[in-house]
Amino acid sequence: MIIGNRKTSYLEDEKILNNNYKKAFVFGMIALAIALPFFADDYTILMASLVGIMLIAVVGVNVVIGYTGLLSLGHAGFVAIGAYSVSIIHNLLGEWGVPDVLQPWLALPGAMGVAALIGILVGLPSLRVKGIYLAVATLSANFIIIFLIEIDTFSQWTGGRLGLTTPDPNFFGWVLDSQREVYALIAFCAFATILMVQNLFRTRVGRAFIAIREKDYSAEILGVSLLKYKLTSFAISAACCGLAGAMAAYFYAKVLPEQFELALSLQLVAALIVGGMGRTMGPVFGTIIIVLVPEILKISMGAMMGSSIEAAQLRAPIQEIVFGGLIIGFVLFEPLGISQIMDRFFRALNRWPFARG
Amino acid sequence: MTLGKSSISRRRFIKSAAAAGAASLAMPAIVRAQPSHYIIGASLPMTGPFATAGQLIAPSLKMFEAFTNQAGGIGGVPIKVAVEDSGYVAQNALANYQRLLASEGDAVIGYFGDSTGFMKLVAPELKGEQARLMSSTSFASELANPETNPYQFMAGPTYEDQFDILLQNIAAEGGKSVAFIHSNTEFGLDPIEFGKKRAAELGIEVKLIEATKPQGADVATHVTKLAQADAEYCILQGYVTGVWPQLIGGARQFGLPTKFMGTFWGMEKLIADRVTAEAGPFLDGYQGVMPYRYFYDSEDAPRYQQMAAFSKEHFAGTPLENYMPTWGLQAMLSLDLLALTLAKTAEAGKELTADNAAAMLSEIKDHDTGGFFGPNATIKNNKIGIGRVYQYSAESKLFTPTSDWLEV
Repeated sequence: MIIGNRKTSYLEDEKILNNNYKKAFVFGMIALAIALPFFADDYTILMASLVGIMLIAVVGVNVVIGYTGLLSLGHAGFVAIGAYSVSIIHNLLGEWGVPDVLQPWLALPGAMGVAALIGILVGLPSLRVKGIYLAVATLSANFIIIFLIEIDTFSQWTGGRLGLTTPDPNFFGWVLDSQREVYALIAFCAFATILMVQNLFRTRVGRAFIAIREKDYSAEILGVSLLKYKLTSFAISAACCGLAGAMAAYFYAKVLPEQFELALSLQLVAALIVGGMGRTMGPVFGTIIIVLVPEILKISMGAMMGSSIEAAQLRAPIQEIVFGGLIIGFVLFEPLGISQIMDRFFRALNRWPFARG
Repeated sequence: MTLGKSSISRRRFIKSAAAAGAASLAMPAIVRAQPSHYIIGASLPMTGPFATAGQLIAPSLKMFEAFTNQAGGIGGVPIKVAVEDSGYVAQNALANYQRLLASEGDAVIGYFGDSTGFMKLVAPELKGEQARLMSSTSFASELANPETNPYQFMAGPTYEDQFDILLQNIAAEGGKSVAFIHSNTEFGLDPIEFGKKRAAELGIEVKLIEATKPQGADVATHVTKLAQADAEYCILQGYVTGVWPQLIGGARQFGLPTKFMGTFWGMEKLIADRVTAEAGPFLDGYQGVMPYRYFYDSEDAPRYQQMAAFSKEHFAGTPLENYMPTWGLQAMLSLDLLALTLAKTAEAGKELTADNAAAMLSEIKDHDTGGFFGPNATIKNNKIGIGRVYQYSAESKLFTPTSDWLEV
C-alpha cells in the first residue's frame, strides 16, 4: 500500500514540484497554455486571459490573507493602480521619446513598484489592527483609490470617469495588439507569479509570513519583525495585484474605474476562499471556479432552456442563484477549499484500491 | 500581427475573390454561405442594479424579432435575437459578445449593447472578423464619432444634443439662469462641459453645477445649494429610476419655484407615474427632452400601432399590455435601423460585413421610422439629432409636447 511519497533528502522535500502528480499537472497546464492560441477561438482566449489576470491577483491576495493571515478587502484598488500606472508610464515614456521596445520593460516593473508602495501605505493599519477591523481599513483604501482615479484633479493622467486608453506593449519589436497575443504574455506572467510566490515560502521571508499568520506575538518573540514582514507581505501582494492590473490594461483597449470597484475585491477574496487559503493551488482552483463556472452555467442553461428571449429573462436570475448556491456549498462542505478536495482525490487515487479519503 | 481595418486576411481575401467570381457569373452577389438564421445578439442587464430596465427592454427585442421575420427577415433570411444577461458589467457584456461570435460566427450580423462602458470596451476589438454593426442603450456623446467608432451608432441624439435642445428651449422661453445637477458618473458628466459652453452662447447664466451620488444622494444638501443658487431652471442628468424624483420632491417641499428638466433616461412615464402614485403630484410640470413620441401618441404612427397590437396579444396582463416604455422604444428603433442598414446592404448585393454595413449607415437619409420621430430621420455622425421637449402632468399622467421637433 502506498502511504506517502518517499524522499531521501531535504533538498528533495523542498522541491516545488516534489511529486509526479504535481509535475504532470504543471507540465500539462503549461503544454495546454502554450497550445491554446493555436486552436482556440477568441472566446476561449478571452476566458483563458481572464483566468490568467484574475489568477495573478488572487496569488497576490493569497500572500497577504492566506500566508500572512491579514484580512484585506481592498486589493481591487491595487489592481487599479497597476492598470492605470502601466498606461500612464507608457504615455509618459512616449512623451519623453523612449523607444517603444523599451517601454514595457520600464512600465511593468514601474506599475508593480507603484502598487507595492501604495500597498505598504495601505498595510500600515495592519500594525495596529487585525481581523475584521483590518478588513474595514483596507476596504476604505479601495474606495479612496477609485475616488482619486475619478476626481478631476488627476483626470489629465487617469482620464477620470471617462477611463484611459491603454497601450499595446512592444516586446522585442513584437507589438501585442490583439487579445490572442496579450494572452501569451498573461499566461507567462501567471506561471511566473505562481512559481515565484511558491518559491517565496521556501525562504526566511515566507516562513516569517507563516509565523505571523500562526501567532503574531509568538513570531515577534522569535525575532520576526512584525513591522518589516507585515509591510513586506502587503508590498508583495500589492505588486502581484499591480501586475494583474497591468495585464488587464494590456488586454483591454480601455480601463474604466468601474472595473476595479468593491465587487472585484470581493471576487478576489471569494476565489481564494473557494480555492483554499494558504495553498499554492488554491488561487488556481478558486479562479477557475469564479471565472468559468458562471460562463459554464450560461452555456449549459442556454442549451437546456433555449436561447429565446423569454428563456434568457428567466435563466439570468436562476444562473445567479445557482452560482451563489455553489459558493455556499463549497464553503459549507469544504471550508479548506477545493485544494483540500483535490488532495483527498489524489490521495485516494494514490492508495487505490486500498484506502480512500 | 497588426489587424488594421485596411489589412486583408486570408479568409476575407477568399471571400472577396469568391464574391467577384460570383458577380461575374451574374449569380447572387451575397456569397457568404447563408445560415438558416441570421443572429442579432444583445446584452441586457437582467440582473443587478438596472435589472428593471433590462427586463422592460427585453420584450421589444422579442417584438423586433417577430416583426422582422414577418417582413421576410434580412436579405430573405429569418433572424433570431440572442439575449444574454450582463448584470450591467461591461466585461460581462464583452464576454457575451465574444461568446456569441465564437459559437455562431458569421451568422451574427449585429449587436445591441447595454451600456456606454461596453461600447467603449468593445470598440477597439471591432477589427476584421470580430467587427459587427452595433447600437446600444447609450447616448454618450463620445460614441457618435464615425472616425473612432465606425461600427457603433445611436438611434437618437447624444446627451450633449439633448442639453442643446433643453437650453434652446430655455432661451426661447426667456430663461436667464440654469443649474446643472448631475450624478457623479460618466453618464452624469457627459454633457456638462458642453452645457456650460452652450449656455454661455445662448446668454444663459449657469448658476450651479452640482454632482450627486447616482443612488442614495444627500437630497437635502443638494436642494439647499440649489436654493442658494436661485436658478430659474435646473437640468438633471445621469439618473434612471432614482434621485431625480427625490430632488424635485425636496425642492418642492423647500418651496423652490425652479423649473426642473431631464434627459432621456429621466423621462420615463412608468417612473413618473409610480412616484406620483406613491408620493404625490409634485412632478407636475416636470419637463425634459425626449427623442421619440411616447407610445400612447400613436396617431399616424404605423410602427407604434403594429407594436400596440403585438403587445395586446403577447404581453396581456403585464404593464406592457398598453404601454411600451421609452427604453423599449429606443431598443426597438435601434434594432429597426440596424436591420434596415443590413437589409439595404444585402439589397446592394454586398456581404453583410461590418464595413459594408457601416458604409451603408450614412446612406440612411430622410427615413420614415413609422412614427418614432415627428420628422423623418437622417443618420449623421452615427446619430439622429432630433428631439423635443415634453411636460409631465400628474393629473393626466401623460407627458405632452411643449415644443416643436428640434434638429441639432
